[in-house]
Amino acid sequence: MVGSERLPDAQSNQPASGSVTAGSLDEALKLRKENPGLIPYAGGTDLMIEGRADAAYLFLGKVPEMKRIAQDDEFIRFGAACTFSQLICSAHTPGILRDACLQIAAPAIRNMGSIGGNIGNGSPKADSALIFMATNSMLRLVSADSERILPIRKFYLGRKKLDLAPDELIVEVLMPIHGIDNYYYKKVGGRRALAISRVAFAGIMDVRDGIICNCAAAFGSIGDVIVCLDEIDRMLVGKSVEEASALKEAYIDAYNMAIVPVAGRVSADYRKQVCMNLLRDFLESNHI
Amino acid sequence: MPAGINFNLNGNEMLYTGSPEARLLDVLRDEYRMTGTKCGCREGECGACSVIIDGKLANSCLVAMGSIDGSGVTTIEGYSKTARFAALDKAYESVSAVQCGFCIPGMILASECILAATPHPTEDEIRTGISGNLCRCTGYNAIVKAIGIAAEEGDGLW
Ligand SMILES: Cc1cc2nc3c(=O)[nH]c(=O)nc-3n(C[C@H](O)[C@H](O)[C@H](O)COP(=O)(O)OP(=O)(O)OC[C@H]3O[C@@H](n4cnc5c(N)ncnc54)[C@H](O)[C@@H]3O)c2cc1C
Ligand code: FES
Ligand code: FES
Repeated sequence: MVGSERLPDAQSNQPASGSVTAGSLDEALKLRKENPGLIPYAGGTDLMIEGRADAAYLFLGKVPEMKRIAQDDEFIRFGAACTFSQLICSAHTPGILRDACLQIAAPAIRNMGSIGGNIGNGSPKADSALIFMATNSMLRLVSADSERILPIRKFYLGRKKLDLAPDELIVEVLMPIHGIDNYYYKKVGGRRALAISRVAFAGIMDVRDGIICNCAAAFGSIGDVIVCLDEIDRMLVGKSVEEASALKEAYIDAYNMAIVPVAGRVSADYRKQVCMNLLRDFLESNHI
Repeated sequence: MPAGINFNLNGNEMLYTGSPEARLLDVLRDEYRMTGTKCGCREGECGACSVIIDGKLANSCLVAMGSIDGSGVTTIEGYSKTARFAALDKAYESVSAVQCGFCIPGMILASECILAATPHPTEDEIRTGISGNLCRCTGYNAIVKAIGIAAEEGDGLW
């Protein structure tokens, strides 16, 4: 079922079986498998806005395995039900992610909203998902019978279409530890506490001994999905800062061609201009 | 959810047997008749419905009952019996920080969460702490001032 459209009510012909609370990951996965109509519920800050009368939820907010933050040599492992407030307080949280979390909504929403919900909602405006895209983070997707690690850049298949099987849950986000310290993050929004992004941009420029080891740009809120174009970013990888400077206009032009924002609360032209300004500023802040 | 939902409400153990999908806001107001928690938007944007769940400020309009199984909930009805409330009440009154009052239950609980985390907050920290609580009357300055006064006058309470 990989690639199926994850619209919970469309997955099952069974009648709603009533909401259930999972006390452990095993229990959550078993319930998910047995009741494909259940909608995973972490913090409810997206789901309760919809407030569907016929909804039956699988409450995940108290699953211990999904609330943990741990670190190994390569990754920081964030449980999918970790809230933004939890991330802001954790010593493991890298600067780029903390910055983004601090600009999400207001404290009460940050106390409730989770990264798994932010990713699982499939919105191109999801601010933590933007950071996970820019940093090429991985998702650990688990079902009762299987487990896979998927780069988040492959998770979004189209507008609200996720590579998530009906029996799978996002259990952890694996964020690389190395090479993400030199970042650039800007969220252009309306009023701060409500600030659903109008455009958000995250960039990573990992320069070692004068050579660009990694360059990544991610644009949020401009289309159906968060935009990350590895093939363009690769233009600058392996280059010295001087060589990259010579390629700067070509790089910006490539994005200029590739990015086709949609109009929303603000016009497509405005979005495009903001994207290009942010991209240029990202390069210039890195002396490119 | 066979046995119902157990949670603590203002110090009392509760067993809720209604729909787990119901909003905490509606259950508080319509079933328990605790109308101190206000409904402004039902979209998480105004903070009038703020309560404290397990020590953290939350918008009760976005909380499904099933998600609070085993949790502790404090509403303005419970909080208003505390010494901390008395300090905030006095401080709010001293600078006339209350006009129509609609936002105030949420504002007081947001104030509590600010001071519990940071007993001597900066103005910036206060403004961030109440950033999800809208007030149509006061222009916020008096409220910000009141929280600062409570931090001074109620020294030792937080
Ligand atoms: C006032 C307000 C302001 C907001 N501001 C911002 C903002 O500035 N930036 C921003 O990015 N968002 C914002 N949001 C949106 C929302 O808070 C976030 O998207 C949040 O991360 C959702 O997380 P949640 O745990 O509440 O998700 P839920 O509502 O519980 O779930 C959201 C979706 O994800 C699915 N899901 C949840 N957990 C899992 C899992 N483990 N596996 C698979 N699927 C799962 C659910 O089934 C559902 O489809 C705002 C919301 C409100 C109400
Ligand atoms: S009623 Fe809940 S935030 Fe407005
Ligand atoms: S006093 Fe009227 S809304 Fe705040």
